[in-house]
Amino acid sequence: MSNRPRYAPLALFSNARAHLLVSDRADLPAAGFAPGCTAADFAERWLVVMQPRVLPRPFDAAGEQRFRSASHLLAALGHRLAAETMGLRLYALGSEQFVWDVARVAHAAGMGAEEMHLFACGRPERRVWCVHCRTINPGVTTTLVACAGCGAMLGVRDHFSRTHNTWMGVQCDAEVPGEVPAIADLPA
Amino acid sequence: MMDSATIDLLVAEATLLSPRLRRVRLLAADGSRLPPAAPGAHITLMLPGGSGARPLRNSYTLVVADPERGYELIVRRAERSRGGSHHIHDRLAPGDVITASVPHNLFALHSQARKHLLIGGGIGVTPLLSFVTRLRETGARFELHQIASPAETGVFAQLLAARAGERIHIHAGRRDFDSAALLAAQPLGTHVYTCGPAALMDDVIAAATALGWPSSHVHREDFGAAGGEPFMLRLARSGIEIAVADDQTMLEAIEAAGVDTPSLCRGGACGVCLVPVREGTPEHRDHFLSAAERDAGCLVMPCVSRSSSALLVLDI
Repeated sequence: MSNRPRYAPLALFSNARAHLLVSDRADLPAAGFAPGCTAADFAERWLVVMQPRVLPRPFDAAGEQRFRSASHLLAALGHRLAAETMGLRLYALGSEQFVWDVARVAHAAGMGAEEMHLFACGRPERRVWCVHCRTINPGVTTTLVACAGCGAMLGVRDHFSRTHNTWMGVQCDAEVPGEVPAIADLPA
Repeated sequence: MMDSATIDLLVAEATLLSPRLRRVRLLAADGSRLPPAAPGAHITLMLPGGSGARPLRNSYTLVVADPERGYELIVRRAERSRGGSHHIHDRLAPGDVITASVPHNLFALHSQARKHLLIGGGIGVTPLLSFVTRLRETGARFELHQIASPAETGVFAQLLAARAGERIHIHAGRRDFDSAALLAAQPLGTHVYTCGPAALMDDVIAAATALGWPSSHVHREDFGAAGGEPFMLRLARSGIEIAVADDQTMLEAIEAAGVDTPSLCRGGACGVCLVPVREGTPEHRDHFLSAAERDAGCLVMPCVSRSSSALLVLDI
C-alpha cells in the first residue's frame, strides 16, 4: 500500500509572525508556488548555490542567504531554529530528500507539521532502506538496487518513512530465488 | 462516548487555606483504590441544592489524584453561588459521603511539548498545581504565571512554593502581567495552558493567535458558567416551557424541570450535552462547536450557552 507523500504548491500561512523559505536550489521553480504567490512573498529565503564562494550570514537582517551545500544549510537551520520563538512558519522547496531533511531539523527544534509546508520537485531520487540489513542506500533512481550492505537485490516499495526519510527496500526475488523483475526508472 | 459512571467519596479532610479557599481530600467510601487520573482531570460532584431544589452538579479539578492518598480539590467560596461552593465551605465535614463522576480530562498536558507555559488567574490555579507536580516529576521545562488579587498573592505563593531555579511568578493583578510580551519570548515547541477568568483566557488566546501560535499549541480550561439575561425555553418533544433565570444555566433549568439530558464537563468543552435547536437564536459560549456550526445555529450546548432571542425551542 502506498503512503507516498503528496505536496501542495507553497502559499503563505496566514496568521504567522515570520516566514522562512529554504531550498536546495538557487533557481526556484515557479511550479513550487501556488497561483498568486512568488518567492518574493517570503521575507527570508535560504538557498543552496553549490559553489565555494559564498558566506552565510544567517543572523543578519532578513533577505536572501546563500549556502555552499544542503548540509551547510541544514546545519545553519538547526542553530537558527534553536534561537527562534513561536510564530515562525517554515517552507521547504526542492528535492524530496532535502525537504524531509528540513522537516527532521524543524521537528527536532520543536516545530509541528502545522508550522511547516513542504513541496518536493525534480527527478525522483530516493534513499532506500534495506529491511534485511538496515543499510541506507542513497541516490537510488531505479526500481531495483543492489544493497550496498548485504548485496540483496532490493525492489523499491512505494512506502516512505517520514521519520527516517527513506523508502522501503525488500529483496525482490525472496519468493522465487533468481526471478528478478525488469529494472526501470522510478516513476515521478 | 465518555464514561458516565459515578463513585461514592468519603470526605477525609477539609481545611481552610484562606477565608475563601477550602481544600478537601476525598477517599473511596468503600476503602478501595480510586480510579487514576492524569494531571488536568476533573470530577463532577453531586451536591444538595438549596431548600427543596434538585441537586447541583459542580465540576472541580483534581489538584492531586492519588489512587491511595485520595483526590484533592481546592474550592473557592463563590460570591454569587448557586449553593455548591457554599455547601462545600459551610456544611461539608470529614466523614460525609458525596457522589461524584469518575475523573474526566479535557485539559491534558502535551507530551511532545518542548516547554510548558502555564498561565493561571485566581482559582484557575488548580489544574496548574496538578501540572506542576507532574512536570517536576518528569523534569520537563516549564514556566508559570499566576495572577492573584493583592490580598491573595500570599496564599498562592504558598501553594506554588517555587523551588530553586524554577520560573514561577505571582502577579498581583492583571496590570502587572503582559501576556503579549511573555508569549513573544517563547521558544519553538512551547505549549501554553491557561485557566482563569474568561477575560484573561481570551486575552492570552488573542495574543498567541496574533503572534502566529498554531491553535494546537494553545489550551484553555473553562470553569463555572456566568449568567446572563433570562429567557424562555420550550422543549418541543417533551412539550414543556421553562423560564431560565439570570443566574441559572440552560442545562440546570432543563434538569430542574425533570428532563434527563446527557451532560459531562458542564463547562462548554466536551460536547456531550449538545442538543438540536428548532427555533430561536442561540448565544454560543462553548469552546466545542466550530464557527460554521455556530453560524448554522442548529445545535447548542446548554451547559454554558444561552439565548439571544426571547424564546429558544429545543428538539428534546
